[in-house]
Amino acid sequence: MNAWTPVIVAFLCNWCSYAGADLAGTGRQQYPPNIRIIRVPCSGRVNPMFIIKALVDGADGVMVSGCHPGDCHYLAGNLYARRRFAVLKKLLVTAGVEPDRVHFTWVSASEGTRFAEVVRGVTEAVTALGPNKMTGGGAGEL
Amino acid sequence: MSFELQEKSLRELCESLLRDGVAEIVVGFGESAFASGIAVPITVKKPEDAAKLSWNSRCVPSLARYIAGRKGVAALVAKPCDARAVASLIAERQLDRDNIYIIGMECAGMTDADGSALAACAECSSRRAPVFDSEITGAPEAFDAPDERSAGENSADRFRGEMDKCILCFSCRQACYGCYCETCFMDRGAPNWQPSEPDIGAKMIYHLGRAMHLAGRCVECGACENVCASGVNIRYLIKSVTDFIECEYGFHAGMDTKTLPALQTYSASDGEPGFWGKNNE
Ligand code: SF4
Ligand code: SF4
Ligand code: FES
Repeated sequence: MNAWTPVIVAFLCNWCSYAGADLAGTGRQQYPPNIRIIRVPCSGRVNPMFIIKALVDGADGVMVSGCHPGDCHYLAGNLYARRRFAVLKKLLVTAGVEPDRVHFTWVSASEGTRFAEVVRGVTEAVTALGPNKMTGGGAGEL
Repeated sequence: MSFELQEKSLRELCESLLRDGVAEIVVGFGESAFASGIAVPITVKKPEDAAKLSWNSRCVPSLARYIAGRKGVAALVAKPCDARAVASLIAERQLDRDNIYIIGMECAGMTDADGSALAACAECSSRRAPVFDSEITGAPEAFDAPDERSAGENSADRFRGEMDKCILCFSCRQACYGCYCETCFMDRGAPNWQPSEPDIGAKMIYHLGRAMHLAGRCVECGACENVCASGVNIRYLIKSVTDFIECEYGFHAGMDTKTLPALQTYSASDGEPGFWGKNNE
């Protein structure tokens, strides 16, 4: 039996994806329990350092989900974030982080089913990669 | 054409700038009292001292570090990368355009002590400053590039290998024009981004964090790696991001004094490379 399952840090925007996760719950959608949700006021609040720090400290995966472009509560937070995330991913891949460890997406408050789908997909992708060995050692307990 | 002729014109120009009060101070290169074979940053205030300015293939340091926060007009002896750094500082409102007089030096690239072109200079294709007040042309032919360094793969091993060499001295930060924060994220107690020990994780946080801070702002001067005593190839990380930003957002830092860096703005039609369900390179 393989006991290892990944720890995935999920930064969810309060106004959409966090509510989407809630809806997935009330709708009794099944998804793997590997994500550790951190609620943020907007995807634009997600400092790239959050993601870098999570990976260096041993998280096996990171996902960020915000409002769909055009729907940001603060109008453009997710549009700034979109560039930042694209660039950050390029940087992480250059540094040898597997592309499938880091995921960015948009999930609205009404997309409970999609939320569950994305979490299933992300968990599958990260599980396939195995533990995060970025700093050489294995991941600690989070 | 030669360095000597450029140097002569530079001295004449600076003498008249100081004499006519166009600039209060010239920030340029001069001979070091301690080390031979490398030019060091010097400042000149009196017209008769303009003869102390030098211009040769060893004018390596990035002078853009020396002008931020100054009052009064400073004239800067600027290689193309220095001029780009100045243009960025102006665009980022760290510097007043009226307070800086850019002397654009046509540049053949700078060399190592052994006469081969520095890595950043070997990759550089700009000979002339994109922004200047006066220009001094007549640079010699470009220098021979050293043997291709292993440009190659972007792997976790390569990154770890570079990080292993780093001793976290922060010289690269001190040398970079773009690292002007009063308190660097690495020096902050709250939030504290560093692990409790200065291990490889701390180095990764530093270099990845700095690369993100320089994303779309790096002017490819190479100061960070020229100054590194441990021979860390710092630029390859930032370069990958710089190239990505150029092809994704069509932005090249420091080409004018108006355009905001790519990450300080957005477009509704930006692509989503690497996003969920999109092409995952
Ligand atoms: S100058 Fe070199 S050794 Fe010092 S912090 Fe930068 S990369 Fe590390
Ligand atoms: S990151 Fe390095 S190459 Fe880029 S501007 Fe700063 S010192 Fe120059
Ligand atoms: S409020 Fe949800 S992404 Fe900005």
